[in-house]
Amino acid sequence: MTTNFRQSPPEALSPIAFDIPRPFRTKLDNGLQVVLFPDERVPLVSYRLAFHYGDANDPKGKTGLTSAIASMLTEGTESYTSRQLAEKIERLGASLSAHSSDDFTVVSASSLSLYATEVLDMLAEALLRPTFPENELDLYRRNTVEHLKFQRSQSSFLAGEQAARLVYGEHPYATVSPNAADVEGLVKEELVEFHAKTFIPNNAILIAVGDVERNEFLKEVQAQFGDWQPETIPECSFAAPPERATRTITIVDRPDSAQSNIVMGNIAIGRTSPDYFPVIVMNQVLGAGASSRVFMNLREEKGYTYGAYTRLNTKKLAGDIEATAEVRNEVTGDSLKEFFYELERIRVDKVGDDELADAQSFLTGVFPIRAETQDGLTNLIVNQHLYGLPADYLETYRSNVDAVTVDDVRAVAEKYIHPDRMAIVIVGDAEQVLPQVESYAETIEVYDTEGNKK
Amino acid sequence: MSETFKLQPLELIDYTLENGLRVVLNPDTAIPVVSMAVYYNVGSRNEREGRTGFAHLFEHMMFQGSENVPKAGHFQHIMKAGGTMNGTTSSERTNYYETLPANQLPLGLWLESDRMRSLAVTQENLDNQREAVKEEKRLRYDNQPYGQIFDLINEMIYKNFANSHSTIGSMEHLDAATVEDVQEFFRVYYAPNNAVLVLSGAFEIEEARAMIETYFGDIPKQNLPPDLDVSEPKEVAATYREWEDKLAPFPAFLIGWKIPQRRSPEFYALYLAGKILYDGESSRLYQKLVKGEESVIQLFGFTDERRGPSSIFVGAIPKPDKDLSKIRETINQEIHDLAAKGPTSEEMEKLENQLVNDAVRLRQSSMARAQAIAEFALYDGDPALVNRELGELLAVKPEHIRNAVGTYLHTENRALLDVVPAGQG
Repeated sequence: MTTNFRQSPPEALSPIAFDIPRPFRTKLDNGLQVVLFPDERVPLVSYRLAFHYGDANDPKGKTGLTSAIASMLTEGTESYTSRQLAEKIERLGASLSAHSSDDFTVVSASSLSLYATEVLDMLAEALLRPTFPENELDLYRRNTVEHLKFQRSQSSFLAGEQAARLVYGEHPYATVSPNAADVEGLVKEELVEFHAKTFIPNNAILIAVGDVERNEFLKEVQAQFGDWQPETIPECSFAAPPERATRTITIVDRPDSAQSNIVMGNIAIGRTSPDYFPVIVMNQVLGAGASSRVFMNLREEKGYTYGAYTRLNTKKLAGDIEATAEVRNEVTGDSLKEFFYELERIRVDKVGDDELADAQSFLTGVFPIRAETQDGLTNLIVNQHLYGLPADYLETYRSNVDAVTVDDVRAVAEKYIHPDRMAIVIVGDAEQVLPQVESYAETIEVYDTEGNKK
Repeated sequence: MSETFKLQPLELIDYTLENGLRVVLNPDTAIPVVSMAVYYNVGSRNEREGRTGFAHLFEHMMFQGSENVPKAGHFQHIMKAGGTMNGTTSSERTNYYETLPANQLPLGLWLESDRMRSLAVTQENLDNQREAVKEEKRLRYDNQPYGQIFDLINEMIYKNFANSHSTIGSMEHLDAATVEDVQEFFRVYYAPNNAVLVLSGAFEIEEARAMIETYFGDIPKQNLPPDLDVSEPKEVAATYREWEDKLAPFPAFLIGWKIPQRRSPEFYALYLAGKILYDGESSRLYQKLVKGEESVIQLFGFTDERRGPSSIFVGAIPKPDKDLSKIRETINQEIHDLAAKGPTSEEMEKLENQLVNDAVRLRQSSMARAQAIAEFALYDGDPALVNRELGELLAVKPEHIRNAVGTYLHTENRALLDVVPAGQG
């Protein structure tokens, strides 16, 4: 055989279809939506009980309340102390935890399907009958205050904190973390009250994925959650994110930094925007991966960084696009220059047909890989339901990606990327960074790592 | 519960090409994807003095083009096929892997074989990747609070240069690397008879075998490098170091012990002892220190699994006003207690369920399967260990754990690293 076959990439074999399992859906009388996805590939089960209520819904002046309630669900219930709960769950080799994000609060549990019922019962115990013991709440407050200090030592936290503040203004997405006073002000009565008001069945969905027998599951759901009383869903209203008029630079002075952590962003789209598919394709060309433009430029050509990316944060009510890299101190200014070059280029010039096709085939091809593990499949399903995406969302995802054109990409780049109005945040050694970046914005402000203006 | 639960063994086809490339196929059609793992028997332990960080720098060069694949072409081909990929370097091995839609198997084989047979090295690409690696070092180690402590404690635990030096290396050694070094390293270590190729996922066995023969069969074998001496004196002898960390907000400490190699009965026992001590919220040290005494903000521990002498670590970030020696005393007491009384029956039940759960979870992902199989093939010459390791772990008895803890987790024979915050703030 000659070596000619080596000269160009081989033809693909015939594609194999990939079908997402069909869900079974029902609703309890109290309004709790229940979705079961059969997944018999492995003897595992995953549960997510999710609320359409998250950190952004914290009442004014009560930042961190929802997050504290979520964390405290597993720290003591009517029948178990914190320690007994941990021992019971871990003795089954299972996991049980609760977390809040901007828009949602999710109680998660998973185990071998052998223990499907026990683990669902424990999820119900933690969710419905927490007691918020004073000693555990006190420990939570003190440990969380220390964690808040710890995260201030990390440049990625500091960059994210400033970028959110600048992009979201008065909108609650501007707050990425409570402060020490918020945490110290948490009191048991409030946790009890807000747990009763906000962890309610008519604002929630229970998703089960796994090797589970349907009738047994439904019987257990009814037994555990049937008596849970519905309440009025709390009303929330939010200020709109600001219209930014100019480009600004915010430096967080972190002396002894070995790199500058750059985040530059502006408001873009929420998760349910009709522009979602053109925007993710555009972002794939621009900076989502290791073959995207900004990575090829800042890392592979220039060697400024280990990785340069753009990323979309698409939340329920709004979202942003950010360009980001951690670069050595001396090339901070040069990195801004290359970022702006790429941000302008994708707005002005149409992307190549081949670039578009590559981005599309990545997004459609990687889809089954993301559904390979039960956790991966569960995450896809949970996001679809929480954001209220269409029932056929997972089935039509690939054709929606393939429908995007080069004109669509340019249109959304022009619409959502605003180099002249971006908020640029640089966490690094201000003395070294300032002279390099002065020419990039009229307004430059400097903060310390505590979040105070210098 | 082991009576009611049987783990399905993975199907394995294990053979070796004429040029010495060990191949293992694990067909599994649950999802139409295929994962490919190529493991080379070279890691930072093979580096010579003056070239620390070289194995990892070399890994970057494997993405810089080969005879038929241009610079960065590897990323681009994989991504446009809808795949994911990466490479990593440890003390033990360098691995390269991709997960692809099942019908793109030929692409993966073409890419991996092209760089195994014909890596293209230029000064320009080496200089560029040297900079990327330096930024990786800054990102992961130099610019992170506590980012350097694991490299520091390895220097304290191990006496043999092969074991003690860091995988990321030093800036000056990275600077010293030449194009000739890269070419020589490629010739010596990146031979088919120094590697293992594993496929896991949806493919036809005969079709895959034929393609592997086509793409890899004519890559010439090389004389293998001599065996490496990774032996260590048994003792660490109590060592102590104070490390000033400019980015750390709080004091912290890390304790490390030298323990026997991976898969030895003692290693298995200590791995399970570690789970009892520090893994999860029901673990002994979490209940004693985070709860109980309420003296630490964060507790962590893990085993570093190597083919030669290995190690186990416990570390903590105490609350600001707490006495570090008192916390270490509590850790010692728990270790003594485990050495004296062994694990409880509840702890043994927990371990059993957790081990089965971990094993099932690993089997879900074609990439996790491919990597586990590749390690057993490369390190032990026995990929079927992937089907036997769970049984070996489940066979560990309470007295094995008790004895191993008593023998190895001495308070007198450990390395202790104290981190002292030294920032300007």
